[in-house]
Amino acid sequence: MRETIVAEASRNIRNFSIIAHIDHGKSTLADRLIEYTGALSAREMEDQILDTMDLEKERGITIKLQAVRLQYKAKDGQVYELNLIDTPGHVDFTYEVSRSLAACEGALLVVDAAQGIEAQTMANVYLALENNLEILPIINKIDLPSAEPERVKQEIEDVIGLDASEAILASAKTGVGVEEILEAIVAKIPPPQGDDKAPLKALIFDSHFDAYKGAISYIRVMEGRVAKGTRISMMATHKVFEVTEVGVFMPSMRMVDELKAGQVGFLAASIKNVKDTQVGDTVTDAENPAHFPLPGYRKATPMVYCGLYPVDASDYGELKDALEKLHLNDASLVYEPETSVALGFGFRCGFLGLLHMEIIQERLEREYNLNLITTAPSVVYKVKTIAGETLSVDNPTNLPAAGEIETIQEPVVKATIMVPSDYVGVIMELNQEKRGTYLNMEYLSVNRVSLTYELPLSEIVYDYFDELKSRTKGYASLDYELADYKEADLVKLDIYLNDELVDALSFILHRDKAYFRGRKLVEKLRGIIPRQLFEVPIQAAIGTRIIARETVRALRKDVLAKCYGGDISRKRKLLEKQKEGKKRMKQVGNVEIPQDAFMAVLKIDE
Amino acid sequence: MPGLYVHVPFCLQKCAYCAFYSVPLADVHGVGTVKDYFEGLAAEIRLRQQDTPFGVSSLFIGGGTPTVLAPEGLERLLKMLVSGFSGDAGLVSGLEENAIGSGGSLGWERQRAVRFEDIEATSEANPGTITPEKLRILRQYGIHRISLGAQSFSDQLLREIGRIHNAEAIREAVRLIRLGGFSNLNLDLMFGLPGQDMKTWQESIEEALRLGPEHLSLYALSLEAGTPLAKRYPLGQGKTSSRMPHLPDDDEQADMYEWAVECLVRAGYIHYEVSNFALPGKECRHNLEIWRGRDYLGLGPGAVSTLGGVRWRNLENVAVYGQCLRNGELPLTEVEHLSERERMTERLMLGLRLSEGVSLEGFKQEFGQDLRDIYKDVLETYLQQKLLSIEENHLRLNPQYIFTANAILQAFG
Repeated sequence: MRETIVAEASRNIRNFSIIAHIDHGKSTLADRLIEYTGALSAREMEDQILDTMDLEKERGITIKLQAVRLQYKAKDGQVYELNLIDTPGHVDFTYEVSRSLAACEGALLVVDAAQGIEAQTMANVYLALENNLEILPIINKIDLPSAEPERVKQEIEDVIGLDASEAILASAKTGVGVEEILEAIVAKIPPPQGDDKAPLKALIFDSHFDAYKGAISYIRVMEGRVAKGTRISMMATHKVFEVTEVGVFMPSMRMVDELKAGQVGFLAASIKNVKDTQVGDTVTDAENPAHFPLPGYRKATPMVYCGLYPVDASDYGELKDALEKLHLNDASLVYEPETSVALGFGFRCGFLGLLHMEIIQERLEREYNLNLITTAPSVVYKVKTIAGETLSVDNPTNLPAAGEIETIQEPVVKATIMVPSDYVGVIMELNQEKRGTYLNMEYLSVNRVSLTYELPLSEIVYDYFDELKSRTKGYASLDYELADYKEADLVKLDIYLNDELVDALSFILHRDKAYFRGRKLVEKLRGIIPRQLFEVPIQAAIGTRIIARETVRALRKDVLAKCYGGDISRKRKLLEKQKEGKKRMKQVGNVEIPQDAFMAVLKIDE
Repeated sequence: MPGLYVHVPFCLQKCAYCAFYSVPLADVHGVGTVKDYFEGLAAEIRLRQQDTPFGVSSLFIGGGTPTVLAPEGLERLLKMLVSGFSGDAGLVSGLEENAIGSGGSLGWERQRAVRFEDIEATSEANPGTITPEKLRILRQYGIHRISLGAQSFSDQLLREIGRIHNAEAIREAVRLIRLGGFSNLNLDLMFGLPGQDMKTWQESIEEALRLGPEHLSLYALSLEAGTPLAKRYPLGQGKTSSRMPHLPDDDEQADMYEWAVECLVRAGYIHYEVSNFALPGKECRHNLEIWRGRDYLGLGPGAVSTLGGVRWRNLENVAVYGQCLRNGELPLTEVEHLSERERMTERLMLGLRLSEGVSLEGFKQEFGQDLRDIYKDVLETYLQQKLLSIEENHLRLNPQYIFTANAILQAFG
């Protein structure tokens, strides 16, 4: 259906995002705004409309960005076009958040009235400030008995340095304050600037793949105009396309004649691959190009890698297709085929972070019905060899022998941890264990502290977040960004089962931790690997030196004592079931290894 | 000719480990009666005679507890079976009239000579319910093999698992059995019982050997879902709370098993099946034929039959069983048409339980294919690892792995 939307002067446009910590009520507030402005009838209104993936709903977090245009008739009698651009609330997606924020002039800072500001919120507020956004503080969940709006206001002023005197007290749940928020958006967030006569410059802040239209770019037009038929050029990838459709999100996609400076919407241009419409790239007019792209573009680089293997080798083709399909919508997912002695044919996959990895795994298993074995995640190491080469190693198996290595560098992050001051000691101890370097400590208020550390990314990938949460009873929040590569004394730990190397269990770690973790891992594997018909030695080794050993004793009993006429069918079915179960095991030499074993590396109690 | 199994689903009381279908006699009135059973069985025999035109190759009366029946009941049962299946097809129809049609024992007296004498005929018995009179009746109708549920010679263990007899009762029962003229006796013993240790197990084996049975069945206890014992030990074997007698774990069971195998083999018994031992020539033919994959017909509530590639179970409810059959319907449930592949799996699964193994020739005759072709990859690995062997044209499990047979058998599942 084609609908003409009367072009409005950009002074009646407001582009904004919502910044909030997980669970502080961002999605609920978005729902209320949509509901209030009538973008959806109550009947169409499905709770938390912006989070469209099931996974997101389950986890209560927004993974994929979405945008929606709201028509709001303000108290001044004018109709405003409000573009709400949603942002994912997780550290893995910091870059995507920054691009969404760059598409806005303002942001609603939603803070839970009971919990106060968290590290993730801080990080995003800083991103918003970097992008010169007008920030409207909103104290949400004021209906909670434990709400302390005054304390939270004070915290906003002390911690972020924002004037919180006009912070709106709201409850997205009950609807309190929603109108006030809409009025504040209109009154306080500036209308977009930008010359619609200038050469086209549009920022891509997201994309998705549509089977009929190709990759759809979600854009904010900064300057100029774009319409059906415009020949566009992507300034980073230099690809040229002809626009087949432009439109807006109402929240369903609706075609319009053109999008011009200040507006938010989408364009389709028969783009075959989402790779060609990268987040942060600038769309310009191929015939009349802008001189410079918009600032801030970065190629998405995976931070964490792991191997994904089908449990059943015959599912390899399906896994490949599934990864291809997911990649269509998510250019930040990278994958290439790899082979493991233990696991057969699979893929080495790169992710923006751990959450991204978990989401992809879950989607593969749930949406594509695949049964997967995942190897422990690894960061990317930079290895300088004695021969003078520099290698990027994202799979421990590919680490050259110790004798060939001159140095190994590992990625380190700058991590900000916000925590009630009672836990400062606990955090310092944890960071010490995790090879952290203290950078800074700041009192945010009398009882809240922000600690800054430099930490190896591999330690964060290993179990840092779980440890942080359990040691601070869930009070700590964490944000980090990749800071540098630093040399460290790293070794590869190998696991041998029945004297055969299980390549998929190898991992890289600091030498000081190798003995302890090697010991713990073989103990754990002894519990996971079922007893077999023969004794199975499990050994952990660094190079040729064995540092830990355990033995899985031989199976002594696995038999049905009674098997007479009445037992035969039951017995046969039992065997058939056991055989099915066996299919889910991986065979290395004579040893059958259950799937869990390959993840055992990741979770070792220390 | 199929083997014949007859289930007598009554017990004085249910043992703590038992998951077989049986009704404690005390409860009989609630769930059906001995009358339902006999009426049903009579009708079932009539309906099933067509399945055994040439009679049966063996008889096994099991339970439950066959000897829980009163002498009259036992006699009535045996008469029905002899008339139905004793092997002389010509005699059968005439006898049926006498045995069931006349409803009394008057007409029967003339046919006394007809007995299960030429085939193996076994009855299970409980030491607590054996009497000289019942043994005399069993013998009279040609039952010459008794399988006695001894389970243990420790009175404390017998109490623990809810048996109704003590060790002395076992010795007394064996004396009566021998006096009654039974030349073939099996004793069932259990290991891995709550509180049992290696020493009490060894004592039980030694006691059993002193009684000179021709056959021994040694069963590892398994906790069957829903049994009182399984409820007592919800965590399973080896994970006993300190208040309960220790339930031996798999390793302890394996130790007991290995000790017993060695002991019995030294005493001259042949270890011919996972749990079964016999003096030469005294193997239980009825069960042996089942393990070789031959057909068997099961009568009575809960009994399973396999005939011509079809398997079924009779309903496990005496009252419904009786009612169905009185209406001329077979009380079938769990009817399975076995595929060729399933039959092959079963042939290996059962055959490899036997020391004689699976006959390559027999397999080829039955399925028209060589099992070495069908299971090529598995066999290659397992023969090379010496888990299996092929000797004398039979595929056999290495005796060392009998107690872990499932780990090997599952490859054929």
